[in-house]
This record gives sequence, structure tokens and C-alpha cells, in this order.
Amino acid sequence: MPDQPASLYERLAVVISRAVRDGEVCFTGLATGEATARYCTLVPVLGMTLAQCLHAPNLTILLAGWCHNPAPGSLTSIPTAEFSPEILNLDCESQSPEYPWSFSIRRGEVDVGFSSGAQLDREGNLNSVCVGDYERPKVRLVGPILQPEHLALFGREIIMMPRHERRTFVEAVDFVSGVGFPGGRAGRQALGLTNEGPALVITPKCVFDFDSEGAIRVASIHPGVGRSELRADTSFDLGVLDDVPWTPDPTEDELRVLRGEVDQVGLLRPR
Amino acid sequence: MRKSKLVSLEDAARRVENGMRIAIGGLAVNQHPMALVREIVRQSRRSLTVIGSLNGIETDLLIGAGCVDSLETSYVGLEEFGLAPNFRREVERGRLKVTEFSELLQFDRFRASQDGLTFALSNALAGTDILVHNTQIREIVCPFSGRRYHAVPPADPHVVVVHAPVGDEFGNVLVPERRVLPHNLDLVMTRACDIVIVSVERLVDHDTIRRSAYLNQIPAFRTSCIVEVPWGAHPCSMQGYYDVDRAHFRQYVTAASSEERFQEYLAHYVISPATHFEYLERAGISPGREGQWAAESRA
Repeated sequence: MPDQPASLYERLAVVISRAVRDGEVCFTGLATGEATARYCTLVPVLGMTLAQCLHAPNLTILLAGWCHNPAPGSLTSIPTAEFSPEILNLDCESQSPEYPWSFSIRRGEVDVGFSSGAQLDREGNLNSVCVGDYERPKVRLVGPILQPEHLALFGREIIMMPRHERRTFVEAVDFVSGVGFPGGRAGRQALGLTNEGPALVITPKCVFDFDSEGAIRVASIHPGVGRSELRADTSFDLGVLDDVPWTPDPTEDELRVLRGEVDQVGLLRPR
Repeated sequence: MRKSKLVSLEDAARRVENGMRIAIGGLAVNQHPMALVREIVRQSRRSLTVIGSLNGIETDLLIGAGCVDSLETSYVGLEEFGLAPNFRREVERGRLKVTEFSELLQFDRFRASQDGLTFALSNALAGTDILVHNTQIREIVCPFSGRRYHAVPPADPHVVVVHAPVGDEFGNVLVPERRVLPHNLDLVMTRACDIVIVSVERLVDHDTIRRSAYLNQIPAFRTSCIVEVPWGAHPCSMQGYYDVDRAHFRQYVTAASSEERFQEYLAHYVISPATHFEYLERAGISPGREGQWAAESRA
């Protein structure tokens, strides 16, 4: 179906394909809940596979942190568990049986990480620990997991947020488990963090990036999403949105390779 | 005569005492020693501290049964099955103390214990609220580079409980040739403490161990006791043997979402079955029948 317009997930996979560079080593991790797995693992992995096919043949994908470079087209279901039979039997080129193994996070060998959380704030801080007061939370979430390492030790982070709502995009997160730019880029530097930190935040409604001061800003809005809707669904002020472009359509070439080589079964086009 | 370390499930679980710091093998939805965990619940163990990195249903079950006072971990969750309901409820009610660590740091705290070191290091905590709430962390300066790190105490469990494929009566345990992270993290745990309790899918004779000595990664001298428990990780997966029992996980999540219904789950699946085999029968498993993918992926 080459004439069908790009689905949201296909569009986001293309955003990711354009955001990664040849030669980079890129890491996806554990996800809790199927929606998060689709957003935080499937879309990045297929986006990076597209990049490998189009412009980044030397990019390395670390799926679930341990399955290297799954072959284009090999993924035929959403990877919902890090050590599922699907991933154990996936056609790939290297498997890390242990951490650290062929790569070390602390040596700075991961260039790009993908992570997710329940809350993200205007400073780019990420939270997967709790909603509400820490001692008596309204919702207790899973815990910090590898987020401290993602945000402090990976080259840069692409944050995948499966829901864009007021309760997920907040003024200040209830628990900082992954550090963005508290006190701006200078504040981040004062913490002794030398990596880039959050680079993009990808939601079902828009793509955020961070300006030279480290403040979050809307980089593009997905077609079909109104500016007032975006404001209504975000707790912090988005500033002037007049000149913000639409998130670009995939090119014909991108869509052809995505559907023909990377995602033949249409995981990015859920019914 | 060489001493046999083969014990019953009841006697194995008795090695876990009230108030102990316990590390439980397995990762996320994989390879947790669930039969041993259910027996710990049956014996009404109390005031445990669970130490881990990617904890799941094993920890949630212990919490729901009232066995746990505190946790040191980076994750308690059920992957595709969502949040861990008992963990969530008890923390929200202020009845469970959690000390937060990052995942890598939890791996390293076990490595520190394995190596007899008195601290582990992180350079990933600056700016996080882990530093606000975890009072065990101290800042230190590298004497060579002047770089600042955060130091934490080692994991130091009193007891470690793991589930593995096969072993012999002396406590030798073979792990698959094809090992992935859950196996290797389990091995670090077994080397991080003096009381090591192992359940295995199948007991084999000593000659079988000798023929595959290169796969013996928990040699007898490390093992305190060993027990044979087929389907001992159910409803979690056991690589090469069976996959996750998704229907049972969903049933668990539904039950654990209310305190009352969880008590019914505990009564039906944990307290009233007289043996592990009666549990398996109630869970719809006939021992010997293995998962569909076992044949093709057996290590």
C-alpha cells in the first residue's frame, strides 16, 4: 500500500531515522506496559533500521541493550520483554551475554539512548519513580531503572513519551530519575555532567528539542494537531508557536524502504 | 562419604530467616525462583529486605504476603504486564520502605560483595532525587583524577536464592552454554554471599556434571542446599524450558490489584497447595509438558 499516507508511528520512525548519524551506537532498554514497548522500543529500533538502510550503514543498534543490529525485516512483533523468545531468536549480528561486555556505558561508548517516563518537565527532567509526594505517592511507578545512566553517561538522549497529556508534561517532575537541564545548560554543567543530555522528546503530538539555554521548545507539531490542543495538553507554557513547522512527511524513498524492507508486516501501522 | 546437599523445598526455604537481607535471582519476567518464593510465603517469613536490580513478580508476591519490610532496588515491575500491584499499593500507603538505586549501581553493589569490597561507585547520580532520598550515599573524590563519585555500600545479602537448569546432589549447578544477562546476574549474586540456595529444573547424576564441568558455574562448595523443582520458575520463563505463562500473569495482576482478591490468590495458589506439584496442577501445568519453544531453543 505505497499510496497510504504515513501513520503516526511511521512518521516518528522517520524522525528518529533522521536524528541518528552514521557510526553511532544506540541503545534501547526495558519497557513496562505494551504501549510503552511500542513507543519506546519498537519505533526507535525500526527508525534506526531505516537509518541503516538509507544513510547510516555503520550505525549500531543495541536492542534491549544486548541484541545488536537485528536484520531489517526480522522484527515481526512488538518486543515486549528484554529476554523474550522473539529477541533470543532474532536474526542479529552479536549478542551481549553480560554487562559490561563488548561495550561499556561508563567509557562513553553509547552515543544515543532511548528512554521513557511517566512525567517530563520543562527542564527535560524525566521521572519513572512516583507521582505525587515521594513518601506517600499518588502513584508509585517502577523505579529509576537505568535512567540516571541514560541521562548522565550516554552521548545524548531521545526521550519517547507515549502520552502527551497535562499530567505527563508537567512544570516540575515529582522525582528526578533522569537529569535534563536543571538551571539550564550551565546548571547541567555545574553538576559535572559533560554529555549532551536530552536532545529530543518525541510525543504523539509533537517533537520537542532544547534551545541554547537548555529550555524546552516545540520543534515541530504533527499534522492534524492544533496549536490550542497542544497548549491544552501541556502543563508548562509553550511560548510562541506561530512559526513552528509541521513534523515533516516521510519522503517517498523513506516510506518505500520503511514498508518494503524494515517493517513489511506493518507493526508501525496498527489497526 | 561426600555430603549430599539435596533437601526438600520446605527445608531449602527454612534457610531464609526472618529479618534477613535476601537477593532473589531472575530478571524482570524471567527465571525467578518462584517455587522457593511461594514456600517462603507459606512459612510466613517476615521483615525481609529484598535487594535486587530488575525485580518482578517474585518481589511483588512477597510484598503482598507481608514478608517484606524494605527494598533496595532500581525496578519493580512486570514488563508487558505493567506495574507491580502489591508493590505499588504498599508504597502508596506508606507501609513499605524503598531505597532507590540506579540499575547499574545495583549490578555493581553485588560485584562489590562478590569481590569483598566495602563500596561501589557511581558517576550517574548527580542531579537526581536518588541523592535526596537515599541516605546511604556518600560523595567521594578519586585520589588520582580528582573526579567526584558517589559511593554506596555493597549489596551484602545474607542469603541468595536462584533457579537454574540442572544440578547434582552435592550442589554442583550447570548453567546453559548460551548465557544471557539473567544467568550472569544470578551468578554474580551466588558469589556475593555465603548462604546460596538453588532450585533446579532437573537433578542429574554427578557423572553428568563431570562431563560438562565447563558449564558448572555454581560449584558444590558455594552451594548451601539444592532442591529439584521442575517448572520452578513458573509463571516466569525459564530459557530453554518454558516461556512466560501470560494467562497466569494476567490473572495475577487482576488479583493483586485488590487486597481482598490477592488474599484469595494466595490461598488458592500459595497457601493451600500441599506440594509444588499441587500448585502446578492448579496452575494447569503437567510436569513434563514443556513450552512449545523448548525444543528449538534449549541451550
